[in-house]
Order: sequence, then C-alpha cells, then structure tokens
Amino acid sequence: MSNNIIEIKNLVKKFGRFTAVNSISFGIREGEILGFLGPNGAGKTTTIKMIMGLINITEGEIIVDGMDIVTHRKKIKDKLGYMSQKFSLYPKLNARENVEFFAGISGLSRDKVNNKIAELKEIIHPDIIEKSVENLPPGIKQKVALFASLIPDPEILLLDEPTSGVDPKMRRNFWQDIYELKKIGKTILVTTHNIDEVEYADRIVILHRGNIIVEGEPANLVREYDVDSVETLFKEAVKKNERD
Amino acid sequence: MKGIKPITRKELHHILRDPKSLIIIFMMPVFMVFIYGYAISFDLNNINIGIVDNSGSDLSAKLVGKFLNNKYFTLVGPQINEDRSIEAYERRLKSGEIDEIMIIPHDFSKKIKNRIPVDIGFVIDGSDSNTANIIYQYNEMILFSFIGEFQNIEDILQIKTKIYFNPELKSTYFFIPGIIAVLLLMVSALLTSLSISREKETGSIDLIFISPIKSYEIIIGKTIAYIFVAFAVESIILLLARFWFGIPIEGNLIVLFAFSLIYIFTGLSLGIVISIAAPDQKTSMLGTLLITILPSIMLSGFIFPITSLGEVLRWTSNIIPATYFLKIIRSVVLKGASISDFLVDGLILTLMSIVLIFIAVKKFSKLRKIAG
Repeated sequence: MSNNIIEIKNLVKKFGRFTAVNSISFGIREGEILGFLGPNGAGKTTTIKMIMGLINITEGEIIVDGMDIVTHRKKIKDKLGYMSQKFSLYPKLNARENVEFFAGISGLSRDKVNNKIAELKEIIHPDIIEKSVENLPPGIKQKVALFASLIPDPEILLLDEPTSGVDPKMRRNFWQDIYELKKIGKTILVTTHNIDEVEYADRIVILHRGNIIVEGEPANLVREYDVDSVETLFKEAVKKNERD
Repeated sequence: MKGIKPITRKELHHILRDPKSLIIIFMMPVFMVFIYGYAISFDLNNINIGIVDNSGSDLSAKLVGKFLNNKYFTLVGPQINEDRSIEAYERRLKSGEIDEIMIIPHDFSKKIKNRIPVDIGFVIDGSDSNTANIIYQYNEMILFSFIGEFQNIEDILQIKTKIYFNPELKSTYFFIPGIIAVLLLMVSALLTSLSISREKETGSIDLIFISPIKSYEIIIGKTIAYIFVAFAVESIILLLARFWFGIPIEGNLIVLFAFSLIYIFTGLSLGIVISIAAPDQKTSMLGTLLITILPSIMLSGFIFPITSLGEVLRWTSNIIPATYFLKIIRSVVLKGASISDFLVDGLILTLMSIVLIFIAVKKFSKLRKIAG
C-alpha cells in the first residue's frame, strides 16, 4: 500500500448539469509538496473544498489518513489547515486580532494564544502588527494568512492560490516558508496557476476542465514528454485536452 | 440613432432573463395594489368596546344595542353592569384589549324623559391617533342614529369624549414608536445578514467551518456582538423621540429594554436565516430590507390597524415580529403599561425568537455540512 496521506479515487463533483470535477484519482504522499495546477475553473478549489468536507462529493472517495471524508468529516478537519486565495483575513482587524480570533476558534488556551502572538511578532514587524489588515501589502497579508492557517498545528496544509496577487520576491519568500514547513514534516497541497512555481513542488498534478491531464515529478515529466520546461508541457497538455 | 436599437434590445433581454429582478418588478406592484385596494382599508370594522351601563334602563339598553348591532363595534370585557368600576376597563384600555369605553350615567333614562341634558361619556385610546379619530366619528354617527329615533332630543344628548395616552392625538406619538419597531428589526436583521454573507464572499467562513468551533457558538457569538450595536441604535432613537419630538415615555424603560432585547434577538436570527439562503451580500441586503421593512410597515398595525386588514393579511400579521413589539412599545411609551398588560405579546415574541434562533443554528449547521 502506498504511503499516501490523502487518497482520492474517482472523485466527481457536479453542480446541476455542470461537471466541475470529472472522476479524478490521485494521491498525496506524507511530507511532500504537491503542486495542483490548472487554469481558472479547472476544478482545483472545488477539489480542495471536497477534501475539507466543505462541499459534498457527488461520486468517488476521499480518504485522509485512512479515514473516509463522508464518515469522518470532523476528525479529518482537525488534521487540515487551509489558506484561501483571498487570504480570508478580517480586513478591519489587525494582524494580532486576526491571529487571536483564529486561535480562539481553534480552541487554544489563553497561554497558547499568547505564545502564538509572540511567534507572530517574530515574523512580522511590531509596527505592522497593530495595523488593520486591509492596509497591509499583499505579501504581509499572505504571511499572516499562512500563519493563521498553521494555528491548529495541522498535519496537512491546503493552500489555494496562496501566491496570487503577490510580487515575485514575496512569492519566493513564501516558497521558502513552505519548504521550512515541509522540513518539519507537513504535507502540503498548493494550487496555483503560476506555472513557474512548479519547480518548487515535489510532484505536480495538472487539472483541466475537471480532468487530470498530467501527473508526476516535474523533472521526470520534462524528460518524458521531451519538452524544455513544465510551462511548455502545461501549455501543450491544455491545448491537447481542449482539442479532445 | 442606430445605437438605440441594440441598447434597447440588450436591456430587454437582460431584464426578461433575470427572473429574480422580474419577480420584484412585477410582483411588488401587484402585491401592493392588492394590499391597498383589497385587503387594507381605513374603515374600521372591529372596534373593541367596553360598556359601563350605570343606568340599566330600557333606554340605555337600546343605546347599547345601537352600538353592538352593527359591524363596527364588538363588546369586550366584563358584561355590561357586571363590573361597574371604571378602573377595570381602563386596565383593558391600557393593555389594548379594548379601544374605547362608553359610560352611560345612572340618571340617563330619567334625564332624557325629563328633557334634562345628559352626557354620554367616551374614553378612547389615543395611542393610535388615526384609529381614535375614526372611532370618534363612529360614536357620533351611531348616537345621531339613536337620536333620530326620538323626537327633539338633539340638544339633550351630549357626547363627552376623553382621549387617553395621547390627548392631543398627535400623529408623531403614533408614528415614532412604530418606526422604532420597524427600524430596530431592520437594523438587527441587516447586521447579521451582512456579516454572514460578507464572510461567505470573502471565504473566511470556510476557515470557521473547518475549525472545531460549534455552529451554535458561531451564531450566539455573532448575535451577542450585534445586540450591543442594536441597543445603541435603539437608545439613540429613543433619545431623539423623547427630547427632539417630545414624546413622553410613560412606562418603565427597563421593561422596554428587556423586551427590545428579545425583539432584537428575533431580528438578528432572522438576518442569519436570510443570509444563509442568499447567494451574495447584495441579495442578502435586498432580501433583508424587503422582508423586514415591508410587512412591518404594512401589516403590523404600524400604519393600518390590524382590525382593518383583510382576513388573510390579519392572519399574516400574527407571524410578523413587529406586530407584537409595536404593541409593547406603544403600551410602554404612551400608556405607561406594565409587563402584565402585554404578557401574551411578550411571550409570543419570546417564542418567535427562540424558534428563529433554532432555525438559524439548524440552517447554519446544514450550510456548514454542504457549503456549495
């Protein structure tokens, strides 16, 4: 048996007559960074939301750490951390208050909440920590959002377009943070439509119109498909799928 | 000029293919026409009257008969002559059980026979100034018809009317407490409905959903926060009512605030229920405004007395929270009523808020399970 911490089998999601996810199967290995790629509307967010149990699945199976999402939704949620593309912070609250809120709803004790705030102060300048989040630059928002998603100390991190709207420098910094998380054993699923980011992932899955069109390790894929880069591979695979 | 056609065509297509807007544009006017033209009228059909007949004579019985044998008046309260203490009737007037009291003096029959002038006393609840005016006119009309059956008593029978609770029949006394009821429900419902639909739009609700926090904790937590805001709004309106419009606040403010709390809670729960059903902030806001303002103004007794509504609408008024709060706020502010005077209304409102918060938590848990 594989050491997949998340196993997705023949997963289907239909919204009325529209099929958003069309019978996809893939796995995420424990401790790896999986890049989940695809253009807008490919079904990435829908898949992530099904893994989190926020959307019912139409058909198929999602097994997280040996548990089925349908029967063990609550237990699975405890293992997951989530960061959405909109960062989902409260704009009128400052960074500290946002962290206090997310720590509060995660059921952390007052001492632990204070520890978290102390940790936050190490990564964000004290001058900025008391500013409303709406006035912070996207890069800082992104840092705070990632920090917030880590508050319940999840084993698995689901990051939905975490780098959208962030400048290249901050994106690189962000990926360094992700690497640090991998080093301490977190499993990370990152969705993105910035193809240049796939070099950071251990493996990639390319989704297009609800179907998986490519899956594998970036370097191997480039060799296998005989292309100069993953970007080219992505473009060609998408084009081919559109023709089919 | 060639540009006009494509614009017109596009606009027509757009509006005709948008069922939600169409419903509002077509259904609202139809609904309003029916409400005004059919179901609501300014004619009062059901004036609840208490009668103290101190005379107990054939002649007084005849006068009582004149009042009761028509579609306008209904006898409420102790049977005639059963309890002659005017206080018992005044309590009923305070609690809104009756709209007016008619008092026939003990020497009514004797004085008429001897052609000595005699006063027929009326005490009218003035808290609804419109209704009070109409009742006054009906009293006159019926007395005239009574007089018409005798010869030459026009000068003898005199009407003496006292207006309680709003002696000058100022319409602001009637409107301000009413508008407080409408605004408080609207503001409370808007607070929660916008809060939840905003979280739905920004996606922050997903983070709450995957956290271990219980659904009822989310709902109660939000509700408590907004109770403070709604209370502040209410205090401002009450201060304006008292010091700007000079409306006397006769009753106990603590009682009023206690029931406001229940009413606000009802509004906040209603807002949550609406926001769960609405796909975005805009719909949530429109829906909240529509659901809270329109029925509260039209069907709660704010403008039209409930007794003048058609049967279906009268029944509908029973499920509108403003109906009950309006009675309470008018009773407390204008009549100085105490809890016992509106216990039933208070209990119904409490029950409504419990049912609504229960629905809100249920719907929220359901949304949490199948968001999307």
